Amino acid sequence: MSVLSGILIGLLTGIVFGFALEKSRVFEPGVIIGQMQLKTFIMLKVFLAAVITGLVALAVLNGVFGVKLSLKPLLWKADIIGGLILGVGIVIAGACPGTSLAQAGAGYRDALFVVAGGIAGAIAYGYNDAAITAFFAETGGKVGFDQLVGLPFWMVALALAAVLAIFLVVLERLTSWREEIGKDLDGLTEPGPGSTGALQGREARPVH
Amino acid sequence: MSILTEKAWSPYVAGAVIGLLQIPTFLLMDTALGASSSFVTVGAHLAAFVDPGVEKIKYFTSHMWGAKNWWQVAVVIGIAIGAFLSMRLSGARRPTISAVWPRAMGTTSLWTRAPVAFLGGFIMLLGARIAGGCTSGHGISGIAQLSVGSTVAVAAMFAGGILTAMLLRRV
Repeated sequence: MSVLSGILIGLLTGIVFGFALEKSRVFEPGVIIGQMQLKTFIMLKVFLAAVITGLVALAVLNGVFGVKLSLKPLLWKADIIGGLILGVGIVIAGACPGTSLAQAGAGYRDALFVVAGGIAGAIAYGYNDAAITAFFAETGGKVGFDQLVGLPFWMVALALAAVLAIFLVVLERLTSWREEIGKDLDGLTEPGPGSTGALQGREARPVH
Repeated sequence: MSILTEKAWSPYVAGAVIGLLQIPTFLLMDTALGASSSFVTVGAHLAAFVDPGVEKIKYFTSHMWGAKNWWQVAVVIGIAIGAFLSMRLSGARRPTISAVWPRAMGTTSLWTRAPVAFLGGFIMLLGARIAGGCTSGHGISGIAQLSVGSTVAVAAMFAGGILTAMLLRRV
């Protein structure tokens, strides 16, 4: 694979990815913070829908066509501590690494500072990678739940996809995405400071 | 109205489109979708401008060259282009900063938001690189491969995110 074809495939993949992120509104800082405050659930819905589709796609690719999976190793300390720090950063940034670029594309100017901070964070990690991995001092294998239960990947993947799909049906009944998305499509469902419509232009808000 | 000009899709349709991208990614690139290591690729090249020592750090050099690393840089650039196209087609223009910031942090201007945004991005990538993946690599891709490590990382990510968000004002 040449670098040029990799870049072309990446651009096409990314354009579809970014288009879907924008349409789903999951790139909105209000959607991400609303999710983490357990007020709205659009982020979980998009996330699990992507996981379910991935599970079914990979069950077929791996189970029927023998395509190799690409798991990351199980490193307890790095996964837990890194995950916690990542979660803190996501809320302060109002973005994930991928959605920060979608925010920049959709027009949020502060997203450019999130991206710049992200590049600085990646450089800071790179200089300290040897020290951090030496501190954790752990090695791990590529462990999948399918291996733990001793069943074929495709079988466990389809079972998990079914369970998650049922969960989403119930979740959608409890809280509908059309209501969670908000009037300005920014995941904010109640009027508040700064909620005058970016789309509709400024309107008088009813006084209670 | 065409689906391309709609202002919002169901999260289930949009999520399914994202999940389907695993197919070309596994078949053509022999890897899973991800986003955060592209920040290392770009960061390593920027750092190399001022520090020739970067070429001696294995973590940097392993991210600097080759089709897979530049594929992921192209993916995140594509994400910005795709979001821009979608926004232009639907007309869902965005203000300078999201209306969530005055509510959650009392931040009303770009210049008070900018240093917080930079800090947030810094912490986010630091955590992602320690964990070895982000919402895409560990989340969407790791769980779809039934990875135990990715499931642990995603649980920790939501725990850290929920604890931090509860310290902010309710939006």
